[in-house]
Amino acid sequence: MKIPLEWLGEYVDLSGLSSQEIAERLTFSGLEVEGIETVGCQAEGIVVGEVLEVRPHPAADRLRVAIVNGGGGTPLTVVCGASNVRPGLKAPLAPVGARLANGVRIQAATLRGVRSEGMLCAEDELGISSDHTGLMELPAEARPGEPLDRIVGSADTVLSAEITPNRPDCLSLIGIARELGVLFERPLRVPDPVLISRGERAVERLKVVLEDWNGCPRYTARLLAGVRVAPSPAWMRRRLERAGVRAICNVVDVTNYVMLECGQPLHAFDLRRLKGGCLRVRRAQEGETLQTLDGVIRRLTPGILVIADAERPVALAGIMGGEESGVLSDTAEVVLESAYFQPALIRKTSKALGLSSESSYRFERGADPEGVEWASRRAAALLGEFAGAEATPDFWDLYPAPVSRRRVSMRWERARTLLGTDPGADRIVRYFEGLGLRILARDAQRVETEIPSWRVDLEREADLIEEAARLYGLDKIPAAEPFARLVPGADDRPVRARLEVNRRLAALGLTEIMNYSFTSDRLLDLMDPTDRDRRARLPNPLSAEHAVLRPSLLPQMIETLGRNRSRQCEEAAFFETGRVFYRTADGGWAESERVAIGLMERPGLGSIDEESCFRRLKGVLERLCAALRMPPLEKGGVRLPPLELEMADWPWAEAGLSVSVRMGGRLAGRAGLVRSAIRREWRITDPVAVAELEMDALTPHLFRVPVYRPVSVHPSVDRDVAFIVDESVCHSDVIRVMLEQAPSELRRIRLFDIYRDSALIRAGRKSMAYRLTYQSEKKTLTDEEANTYHGYIKAGLTRVLRAEIRE
Amino acid sequence: MEPADLSALQEQALEELDRARTLAELEAVRVKYLGRKGLLPAIMEKLGDLPPAERPIVGRSANAFKENFAQRLNVCREQLERNRGGVVPKRAWDPTLPGLWRGMGVRHPIAQIMEETIQIFDRLGFTIADGPDLETEWHNFDALNTPADHPSRDTQDTFWLTDTLLLRTQTSPVQIRVMESRPPPVRIIAPGRCYRRDTTDATHSANFHQIEGLYVDRNVSLADLKGDLTYFARALMGSEVKVRFRPHFFPFTEPSVEYDFSCHVCGGKGCRVCKNSGWIEISGAGMVDPKVFHNVGYDPEQWTGYAFGMGVERLAMIKFGIDDIRLLYDNDARFLEQFA
Repeated sequence: MKIPLEWLGEYVDLSGLSSQEIAERLTFSGLEVEGIETVGCQAEGIVVGEVLEVRPHPAADRLRVAIVNGGGGTPLTVVCGASNVRPGLKAPLAPVGARLANGVRIQAATLRGVRSEGMLCAEDELGISSDHTGLMELPAEARPGEPLDRIVGSADTVLSAEITPNRPDCLSLIGIARELGVLFERPLRVPDPVLISRGERAVERLKVVLEDWNGCPRYTARLLAGVRVAPSPAWMRRRLERAGVRAICNVVDVTNYVMLECGQPLHAFDLRRLKGGCLRVRRAQEGETLQTLDGVIRRLTPGILVIADAERPVALAGIMGGEESGVLSDTAEVVLESAYFQPALIRKTSKALGLSSESSYRFERGADPEGVEWASRRAAALLGEFAGAEATPDFWDLYPAPVSRRRVSMRWERARTLLGTDPGADRIVRYFEGLGLRILARDAQRVETEIPSWRVDLEREADLIEEAARLYGLDKIPAAEPFARLVPGADDRPVRARLEVNRRLAALGLTEIMNYSFTSDRLLDLMDPTDRDRRARLPNPLSAEHAVLRPSLLPQMIETLGRNRSRQCEEAAFFETGRVFYRTADGGWAESERVAIGLMERPGLGSIDEESCFRRLKGVLERLCAALRMPPLEKGGVRLPPLELEMADWPWAEAGLSVSVRMGGRLAGRAGLVRSAIRREWRITDPVAVAELEMDALTPHLFRVPVYRPVSVHPSVDRDVAFIVDESVCHSDVIRVMLEQAPSELRRIRLFDIYRDSALIRAGRKSMAYRLTYQSEKKTLTDEEANTYHGYIKAGLTRVLRAEIRE
Repeated sequence: MEPADLSALQEQALEELDRARTLAELEAVRVKYLGRKGLLPAIMEKLGDLPPAERPIVGRSANAFKENFAQRLNVCREQLERNRGGVVPKRAWDPTLPGLWRGMGVRHPIAQIMEETIQIFDRLGFTIADGPDLETEWHNFDALNTPADHPSRDTQDTFWLTDTLLLRTQTSPVQIRVMESRPPPVRIIAPGRCYRRDTTDATHSANFHQIEGLYVDRNVSLADLKGDLTYFARALMGSEVKVRFRPHFFPFTEPSVEYDFSCHVCGGKGCRVCKNSGWIEISGAGMVDPKVFHNVGYDPEQWTGYAFGMGVERLAMIKFGIDDIRLLYDNDARFLEQFA
C-alpha cells in the first residue's frame, strides 16, 4: 500500500511529525513500512523557462548559449550543455537564487567567457528522478515564469507499507489515518459529503435485482446524470499517481480516489450500455462469456458471481468490469456501483480465473458492509464537483440482511496473563475508542465492546488483547527471566538417535553436504532408468531441473562429487542425511530418511585402485557399525562382525563391486563403485565409492549401554599362520573357520598379506597370511599353550578350507 | 645386610646414574635399583629378618638411599634432556614436515545452526520433535487456522501433490502433531525442511529449513517468549544481543509478532550485515491462537502458549557472513571446510 503523506494529511493532522517518525510508529504498531520515497520537485524557486534562441558557445564546442524567457521582462542568457536544448523547448529554469535538489544555490557565473544568468535543469537536478539524459521537457502549454510546482507537484513523501491479510481496513488512507490518530492522539477527520440531488428518480430509469444474497449481502447503485467525461484536476491525478494508480478520466479517477480513501471499491457503468436499463446480481450460466476491462475474453462457469444487465454479464462481481459496459468519452449517465461481496467467493473466483485487481484484493480480505453508502455518496459528490454530475434523489440499496456488529469482551486479567505486563485499563479503553470500538460496559473484571463494521479481524478476546499490545508497544513487554522446565514423559530419543548418527558420521571424518530435495529426470535416468514409474514427480514444478522429489540421495551425491572434481577438488569424503520420496504401489506418496556416503579419494598425489577405494568405503561402514554400537552377530555359536556385504547388481554400480549392506543382521542399504559410464559425465577417472543406508536401520542399538568386561592383565602371545587356498575362499570364510576353532583365548585376527603370482602358487590359488593374538584372562599363556591353540586353527583351515599351511 | 653394605650399594648406584648416556639407560638403572624387583626393594623385603635393634638403622639408611637416588636421578634426567637439544640426532629430522592424520569431518553450516539451537533449547528443557515433509492440508493449514479461502494462504506458495497432500511450507504442522498426540504441558523444538514455490535467488530457495518452538503451559505469556528468545539470541549470537518485537499477523498466533535480533556484528550501531539499521529480522512468533488449541482439543481457558519459527538458512547466513543462500546447497568442499 502506497501512502502519499500530503494526501494522508487530509484525514489526520500530521504537522510536526517527520516521515521517519510516522514510518516508525506504523511499523511498531503492525503496519510495516518497507520504503520511504520522496517524490515531486525537491528544488526551490524553479520556474518554467522557454528557450527562444540557441547560439553556439564561442569558446566551447560542447556548450551552447540559450536565450531563455523566464517570465520576467528581459530574456536571460543561460549556458547549457544538454543536447536537447532547442528553440521553443519549455524546460525547468533555475534562475539566480533558486536552490537545486542537492542544495546548491544558483548564482550568476561566467562560463568560458560567457555570462550565464541561471541554469536549465534535468530531472535529477530537481530530485524528480535520477534521469540526466537531457533537459526535462515540459508540456507546451506551460507558461514561462510559472512555478514548476504547479506542473510537477510539490515535494511529497510516499510510504510503502505491508498490510497483513487481517487488516483490509488499512488498505485505505482513512484506515491508516485512524491508526495514526490513535498513536499520536490526534482526531480523525472523515469528510461528510453532501449531495444536492435533482432530476428524476433512479428507480424510474434503472432496475436492480439482487438474486444472490449470500454472494452479495449488499448492493447499491446510484444514478448520475449530466456527466461530462474529462481529465481530473491535476491535484487528483497527482495524488492517484503517487499512490500508484494511473489517472484515466474524471469518472474512473474518482472511483479509484474514493477506493484509496476509504477502501471501498467502486465501479461505474454507462447507463446507455446496459441492456434493458437493468442490473442483476446473479451467478453466471454455463456458456456465458465476458470481455473484461483488461481486454481478455473470459469463459464463465456457473458459481461465478456476475453483475448482468437484462441479457448478459457486464462485470465480474468485485473483480473487474466488462469492456462493453464501461464509461466512454461521451458517457453522460453513470451508474455507480458500491457493494459488499462475500470475501471467500471473490477469492475463489479470482484464483480460478487467475485475475486479481485492487478491487478483488480488498473484497477478498473483507470490505466494510456499512461503508458502502458513504463511499457511493462521496464519489457522487466528487463527480458532482469535477464531472458536473447530478445525482438522483434516491438510490438502490439492496441490503436484505444487515450484518450485525459483533460484541466482544475482554477480561483484564486474561490480557495481563497473555502479555506478561499491564498497559492499564484506561489506556486500553482509550485505544479501543480511538479505533472506533464502542465501549458497551466496563467494570473491574472486563470491558465489553462493539466492533465497528470495518474491523473484520476483531472476533475474539485474543484479538482485542492484540490491539492493546500493539498500540501500547511491544517494546514495553518485559523479557521474563528464562527458566528450565522439564516435561515429564516427553521422550525424544528416536529423533535424537537420528541426529546422533550425523554426529558420528562427522566424527568418522566425513564432511556433511546438503542437496535440494528436488532433482531432474535427466540425472535420475543417468543413474537408473528403470525406476521411472515410482518417481515422485511434482504436479506443478518450478523447472525441469527441479521436477522430481529425489528417490535416492545417491544421484546428487555423485553429482556433488563430480562438481567438486570439475573444480579441481582431488579428494572428498562426504555424507548426506535427508529424506527421499517415492510413489507407492497403490499410487500414494511416501518418504523415508536415508544416509548417503561418498568417497572420492586420492591418497597422497597418486591415484587409487578400485579395490582399495571399495575397501576404504567398507572401512567407513565397519567403523560406522562400531560407532552405532552394533553388537556382533551370533551365528552358529560364533560371534561375527555386524557388517555383512552381499554381492548385488545395482544399475549404477560397477559389476562385481556392487553389494547389499546388512548391519546387525538386517538389510540396511546398498554400496558400490560408481560405473565409469556415469563418472564420465563429470570426467572422473578415479574410482568413486558410494553407499546409501536407511536411517531406521542405523539407530536400533545406538542407545545400547556398553557393559564393562575386564581387560586381561596377562601378556598376549602372537602367532602367525600363512596358507594357500583357492581364490574362491573369502576372508570371511577364513574368519568363520578360525572363530569356530578358536578357544576363548583368541583375542584378535589380523590379515597382513595376500599373495598371488608366484612360481610357488598355482593359478587360481592364493596365499593368505594372518597374525592371531592369544591371551588369557587368568594367566600368562605358555608357548606350548599358544602353539596348541594355533594348531587347532591350522587343522581347521586345512580340514574345512583345504588350506595348504605354509611353514 | 649392614648399613655399610648399603652405602656401598648407594655409591655404585649413583655412579651408574652418572654413567647413563641416554634416557633409556637412565630408566634401566632406575629399574635395577628401585623397580618392583629391584635391589633396594629386595633389601626392604628382608628388613623383617633383622634383629629388631638394627631394623630402624637399616631402614633409615635405605630411605636415605632412596632420597639420594631420586635426587641424582632427577639431576641426570634434566641434564640428558637438556643435552638432547644440542646433540646431533642420529637421523636428520624436519619438524616442519606436514602432519599425518586423515582429514576431519565437518558438519554443514545449516546442521551446525540446528545442532546449536537444539542444544540451547535443551538447556531450557525443550525436547526435539519432528514430522513428515509430505504433510496433510489439515496439519499444514486448516488446523493452524489458515482456511482454504483465506488470503493468508497466499503468503506461502505451496507445492501441492494432491488435493489434500502437500510439501510442508513450514515446520508449524509439527506443533499440531505434537499437541494431537499428548496432553499439555508441551515444550518442544522441531527442526526440519520446508518447501515453497519460490524461484531460487540469492535469498530464496525452494527448499529451506526452519526450527519451530512451542511452549504450552499454564500462564505462558509474551514476556516468556521474549525472555526465551533473548536467551537464545545471546547464546547463539553473543552475550550483548537484544531482541525486539514488531506486531505482525500469522493465522495461528494472536498476538503475532515478528522478532529482530540486534546486530551481533556492529552491536546495533549499523553496518553492512544489518543494512545500517542495527537490527536483523529473524522470523515470526506469537501466542498460540485459541482456535489452534481448539483444533487439537486443548482448553484455551486453561492453557496458554507461545510458538516461534526461525529460518535456519537465514541464521546461518547472518552468523557466518554468507551472502548467497545458493552457496549452502552447492556443497563446494572449499566452502564446507571453512566451517570446521
